[in-house]
Amino acid sequence: MATDRNVIAPAPALRRKRGSILRQVVEHRADYLYVLPAILVMLVVIAYPIYYTIELSFFKTPPNLQMKDKIFVGLDNYAAILSSASFRRVTLNTLIWTVLSTGFAFILGLAAALALHREFAGRGLLRAILLIPYVVSAVAASYVWKWLYHSDFGVIGALSVQLGITDRPINFLDNTTTVLPSLIVVNVWKEFSFAMVMLMAGLQTVPEQLLRAARVDGANTWQSFWHVTFPHLRGVSMVTVLLLMVANFNAFIIPWIMTGGGPAGASDIWITDIYTIAFGRQRYGVASAYAVILFVVMMVLGTFYVKALTRGDDGRAQ
Amino acid sequence: MTATPQPARRAARKPFDGWRWAGRLTILFLLVFTVLPMAWMVLTSIKTQFAALQYPPQWWPAEPTLANYWRLINPADSTGREFLLYFWNSLFVSLTTTILGVVVAVPAAYAFSRFRFPGRQLLFFAVLVRNMFPAVVFLMPLFLLMRWMGLVNTHGSLILTYLTFGLPLSIWLLKGFFDNIPVQLEQAARIDGATRFQAFLLIVMPLSTPGIIATSIFSFIGAWNEYVYAYTFLSKQDSMTLPVGIQRFFTEFATDWPGLMAATFLMSVPVVVLFLVLQKYFVRALTEGAVKH
Repeated sequence: MATDRNVIAPAPALRRKRGSILRQVVEHRADYLYVLPAILVMLVVIAYPIYYTIELSFFKTPPNLQMKDKIFVGLDNYAAILSSASFRRVTLNTLIWTVLSTGFAFILGLAAALALHREFAGRGLLRAILLIPYVVSAVAASYVWKWLYHSDFGVIGALSVQLGITDRPINFLDNTTTVLPSLIVVNVWKEFSFAMVMLMAGLQTVPEQLLRAARVDGANTWQSFWHVTFPHLRGVSMVTVLLLMVANFNAFIIPWIMTGGGPAGASDIWITDIYTIAFGRQRYGVASAYAVILFVVMMVLGTFYVKALTRGDDGRAQ
Repeated sequence: MTATPQPARRAARKPFDGWRWAGRLTILFLLVFTVLPMAWMVLTSIKTQFAALQYPPQWWPAEPTLANYWRLINPADSTGREFLLYFWNSLFVSLTTTILGVVVAVPAAYAFSRFRFPGRQLLFFAVLVRNMFPAVVFLMPLFLLMRWMGLVNTHGSLILTYLTFGLPLSIWLLKGFFDNIPVQLEQAARIDGATRFQAFLLIVMPLSTPGIIATSIFSFIGAWNEYVYAYTFLSKQDSMTLPVGIQRFFTEFATDWPGLMAATFLMSVPVVVLFLVLQKYFVRALTEGAVKH
């Protein structure tokens, strides 16, 4: 409990702490000054938008966006999305996109972290190089990969022909079966190194003595990884997977710039769908309802996320 | 009797270590996977339009040229004027967002780390949860809000909205750094007569410089790379930032791939340089909080 207060504050303040909430608030009023600017900004740009999205989700909004003309329609917007023909397909795409992107990024990141765990010359440089895609803008990455995938002049198509894998260049992005996997590759390229960095940090917390003890007991590399290293990585892995899942679920730039959700909606995910409904068709009410559904899904994930992140926080507060 | 010489022989010719080789192959694969696209971007950017559109591709540019870059940074050229304007806009918006964000986030993060005031848990929960929500949830209402405030097509709209993701992240990162600074240092200063604010300013702030740097890099990179808000709020060329502006190169010169690759390269330079120079802080910020015991 607020260590510096307990040591420094005079005794009467301590006794007063057991008062009503109001009294506590008054007593801590100086503390709020530090948080006030942040609260103000967050009220305007976070709380208000959330409130307004929820409100709009119950209204039919006019195409000219004169919001005073909006009409209350109850739950119609929700019904419109859930019963729309494309919703099921977009949801399936979103699941495939989120799960595969997260899975591959995590596995590649784990492999990289394990491979880079041993000290060797140039390790730092290697880690830096592998991290560059994570730092570079998704817009830049999208254009570069669009060029790599180009149906006529793309280097990937040309390579696969020269290596005898295919007869002629594959049209990766204009084909409903190849488009989603192609985008997932880009996404994994962009973010596997995030998992790598997190897991490298996690590996450093594995106690050396335990690994040595396992070796003495005759464990092979795989056994000591599975029984010693991996259990120690569970916490970091959980946070990493959650963060990746959230990021992938909310991804917009790569699918939007590379395909715009096409062809024929084959790479449309929730976020791109919402964007099209809102800013393409000016149906803010429907898009808001869609956003609220997304919001609820995220809240479920959010509970896990906060639990994983604040682990240990209360320990420090004691 | 045959068992005795065996250990000696095995030590002489190093045993094949499968795991070590698997590690090396993994690194090789990841290196190729990571570097090839970036290398191809650079190689294309120094090709002529003609050389870029050949099949099979010219692996190495026959006549390398810097003309694509020169066009982008030459203020006498109309393309160059446009590109430099976007670049400047991006720099202005990102720097302003970073400074504003850190100024607001530092005291808030300090309060979350040190004080136990009523509502702290709830507020902190709000800060954390914000990172979960996609820009799209905030996009429609913020667009209407910006229109109402007359900020559409201005940098003000971007700076304000970038705080939606910059602020929570900064608060979270900075709190992690403040948590690691022993409270005893402040207590000592307080006993010597400093006020709590002075102790924060003179003891905690200097000690958390690495954290503040790391947070600033994150904010800057986030703002520099931001696309969705800029794409929605800005329709006038004067105010466009690079990620949005670059699309105009694409549509205007529909097949100018070398030019586009040169532009994406220049767009990536500031963040990559910043990252390489301050890598240590960046990695620390990324993993701070996730790997505490």
